Amino acid sequence: MTAIGALLTDELRGWIGREVSYTAREEIGRASIRYFALAIGDENPLYIDEAYARAAGYPSVIAPPTFVCETSQYAHRPPDQDGYIGHTWELPVKGCQMIRGGHDYEFFRPVLPEDRISVTWRLEDISEHTSSRGGSLLVVISSATCSNQRGELLARNRETLIFLPLEAAR
Amino acid sequence: MSVRMPLADALEIGTRIPPLERALTQVRMVAYGAATWDWHRLHYEPAYASARNLAGPIVDGQMFGALLAEALLDWLGPRAFVRRMTFRLRTTVFAGETVRCEGEVTSVVTEQDCDVIRVAQRVRVGERIAVEPASAEIVLSR
Repeated sequence: MTAIGALLTDELRGWIGREVSYTAREEIGRASIRYFALAIGDENPLYIDEAYARAAGYPSVIAPPTFVCETSQYAHRPPDQDGYIGHTWELPVKGCQMIRGGHDYEFFRPVLPEDRISVTWRLEDISEHTSSRGGSLLVVISSATCSNQRGELLARNRETLIFLPLEAAR
Repeated sequence: MSVRMPLADALEIGTRIPPLERALTQVRMVAYGAATWDWHRLHYEPAYASARNLAGPIVDGQMFGALLAEALLDWLGPRAFVRRMTFRLRTTVFAGETVRCEGEVTSVVTEQDCDVIRVAQRVRVGERIAVEPASAEIVLSR
């Protein structure tokens, strides 16, 4: 069992506060919005029907709220060995399984097809805790703040990841 | 053009959100991964998942955010704006499982020219709770 204090090294502490930004190469666009809605199975006409969206008071179709928080679309990274092309911190954590803990979203206004998104990821905090089984685990909290080409704030996603030593994960 | 109007005056603490059920088939998971540029093998490759002691490809946690938001906006209409959402993942959901999003109103507050509705939500998979606690704050203009 991993002892408390063994996971949160000084090297790892040094990552707290790091930031990285990605800017999309193009606007979100109607096709991407329609594709996301189709994929999730959301048939809300706000995402595909211009006339309906205008009648509801929007300048055009809008994106489903959480779409902007899927930030792999803005990163420009080659696939890693897991196939993943999105943002990752590549933290120096060995022998752990990563588990997604949850999300806290704030939305500031609906995202429009014309929005070209920039996202800034910030590593907010890393802390070590006692797991329910008595061992140790790491909690990593990051935020992704999304704005558009005019600097208008669109959304913020605070994401919690948990790193559980493999001996405890099994 | 028919646009459904908000229902704020009819809401009170305990009012139930119409449940949303969705089969998270492998096809839907692949489509979601493609739509969000998430190519992680965990979401579609059975051998990759089983090598990590998982029963099968696992559902992307942010899919639950999308479904919880869908349930809210289907219910409150096109002028509703989701201002905040928060949720915690409690158990892994695998390809082929059907999820059910549920919830109820926890408060209705009038702020200047709008009503703010707060809700508690959860996601069930059969007898398991996949997501809880979850909450959201939705703004309805008056």
